Amino acid sequence: MSTSIPQAGIKASEPLRPEPATVLEVIAETANIKTFRIAFDDPALAESFSFLPGQIGQLSILGAGESTFAISSAPSQKGRFDFSVMKTGVVTSAIHELSAGDRIAVRAPMGCAFPTDDWKGKNVVLVGGGIGMAPLRSLLFYLLDHRDDYGELTLVYGARTPEDLCFASDRRDWEGRADLDFAATIDTACTGWDGCVGLVPSVVEEKAPSPENAVAVTCGPPIMIRYALQSLDKMGFREERVYTTLERRMKCGIGLCGRCNLGPKYVCTDGPVFSLAELRELPDEL
Amino acid sequence: MKFISSDAIPELLEALSASSVVWAPRELTGSGGTVMFERWRTGDPIDLEHFSSLSAKDVVLPRTEKLFGYTYAFGGGLGGAFGNGAPAGEQLVIEPAEPAPPAVLFGARACDAKALDVLDALFNNPEGEAYNDPQYQSRRKSLTVITLACTTCDEACFCSSFGNGTSEKAGSDIIVYPVEGGLLAEAVSSRGEALLAEPIFEESEQAPPPLAETARIEGLERLEEKLPRLFDDMDFWQEISERCTSCGFCTYGCPTCYCFNIHDEMRSDREGERQRSWDACMFALYTQETSGHNPRPTLAHRYRNRINHKFSYYPENQGKILCTGCGRCIRGCPAGLDIRDVLRAALEEAPREP
Repeated sequence: MSTSIPQAGIKASEPLRPEPATVLEVIAETANIKTFRIAFDDPALAESFSFLPGQIGQLSILGAGESTFAISSAPSQKGRFDFSVMKTGVVTSAIHELSAGDRIAVRAPMGCAFPTDDWKGKNVVLVGGGIGMAPLRSLLFYLLDHRDDYGELTLVYGARTPEDLCFASDRRDWEGRADLDFAATIDTACTGWDGCVGLVPSVVEEKAPSPENAVAVTCGPPIMIRYALQSLDKMGFREERVYTTLERRMKCGIGLCGRCNLGPKYVCTDGPVFSLAELRELPDEL
Repeated sequence: MKFISSDAIPELLEALSASSVVWAPRELTGSGGTVMFERWRTGDPIDLEHFSSLSAKDVVLPRTEKLFGYTYAFGGGLGGAFGNGAPAGEQLVIEPAEPAPPAVLFGARACDAKALDVLDALFNNPEGEAYNDPQYQSRRKSLTVITLACTTCDEACFCSSFGNGTSEKAGSDIIVYPVEGGLLAEAVSSRGEALLAEPIFEESEQAPPPLAETARIEGLERLEEKLPRLFDDMDFWQEISERCTSCGFCTYGCPTCYCFNIHDEMRSDREGERQRSWDACMFALYTQETSGHNPRPTLAHRYRNRINHKFSYYPENQGKILCTGCGRCIRGCPAGLDIRDVLRAALEEAPREP
């Protein structure tokens, strides 16, 4: 957590005004999740735009409204960025109508990133579920891009069924890598799936990555996070070495509109990334 | 001190109107005594006797304001096909809102003016240090605040609990004191001084009248530490919020409640504007998520957040209590809730054993 100041992509002079951008590509991930590859229309902004894994942005369909999402692409990818969006409400339904070439309006990046500099030399365990994989995808890309800075990398990513798993082509790459211990898991066995079966926390316990010199990061449905945190605790991961990224209803994204606070901290500016130790200090109002 | 006669006040407001929007308290026609801060126009009466129902915060945080306008170059707009051949950058145009004109707030009370000073801590930061709110800033920087000192008060007033009470000068440019035949005027800022140099103000040797003494609760600054210890005592929050009907008046009437919503209003199928409007933390939808999950599902949760925000979180983050003791939430509450009962209870309450 740190104090946030205006960054590229959000005009300090007009932090609530989004920038026009164009959808370059739409990738259907599951029945209700699509990944939107986007570039800012302003060439200078497109060029200067940068972010770190864990940061968020606001997508607007002007007329329908604005919502907050994690940036899901590799920070090293210049000139464009991805948002993976689950269709659930008015704004996300409007976003799901978009095709390549369509206009969207974007405010990004916002919030604090994962403290990846502090993790250098450590092993990193990523625990993701469902659409919660979106920020972890960006984080994993970052760690792989800086592979020599980190020790062993483990990823357990789960969904209810094989059809609910996102990022198929990334998963094929991850499976083929010798420098990443990756398991995709589904809740219950089904025909055509010869991979791992079981709830994400149990698979993490089976894999049993060592808590020695390691950090763990989890993001997913609240119920998964709760059990994953219990598992990590049981395995010996200390609270200050366990991170998650939170979601709240947000409007302004810059700590002014009031609603996303956890006690005195605002998820939009003080988060969305928090260590478990930081969360323990805050009122339990998740 | 300077003096302006009652007869000359309309002339003063008229002169100020030439270059500014002038806000002054006025009894709303046919309202049966409801006084509000309204845009003053030539011939409008002003009410310097009664306390306004809502605060004067509209002058810096309008209840609804345009953030920017947008136009889709071709029909279709929302939900339609945007990518129909127009060059990139021309299909969607976003235009900033027009800047607000300078304003004068006439007849604010010390509690209204101090509220501006309290809000400045969040909305008006030095460049580059934190996110700023350009629309708040431009309104605030071009605002002149002429505060009417309170020589009377009512039983809901409790500004004395916060620093200087009725003699508070923070947020004001000029303080005016009601005296026989007119107003004594004292400059607080250089802007105020410049205005008082105008010939409409006469020199005066008169002493200002004694100001009202409002109710005082000692030790409110201790709540920053105390409230977090009460956080998990849901019986306490349940009990004190029991009568609340979630109407939101306490937030709309409050001079320091600033939380807002952002929403889009279409003008046609291809153009519209993004607006922000006052929101209220006492509403369930304020934090309701699309999934149906609500981190503050009951009135007790929402009331707890409101009190904590004002007396613990905001002081921790901004160094100022987010309340000035104006008493509007007490006068206006349809259920008769008195925030002072809550504050006293919280000051006395020892955390209960879980």
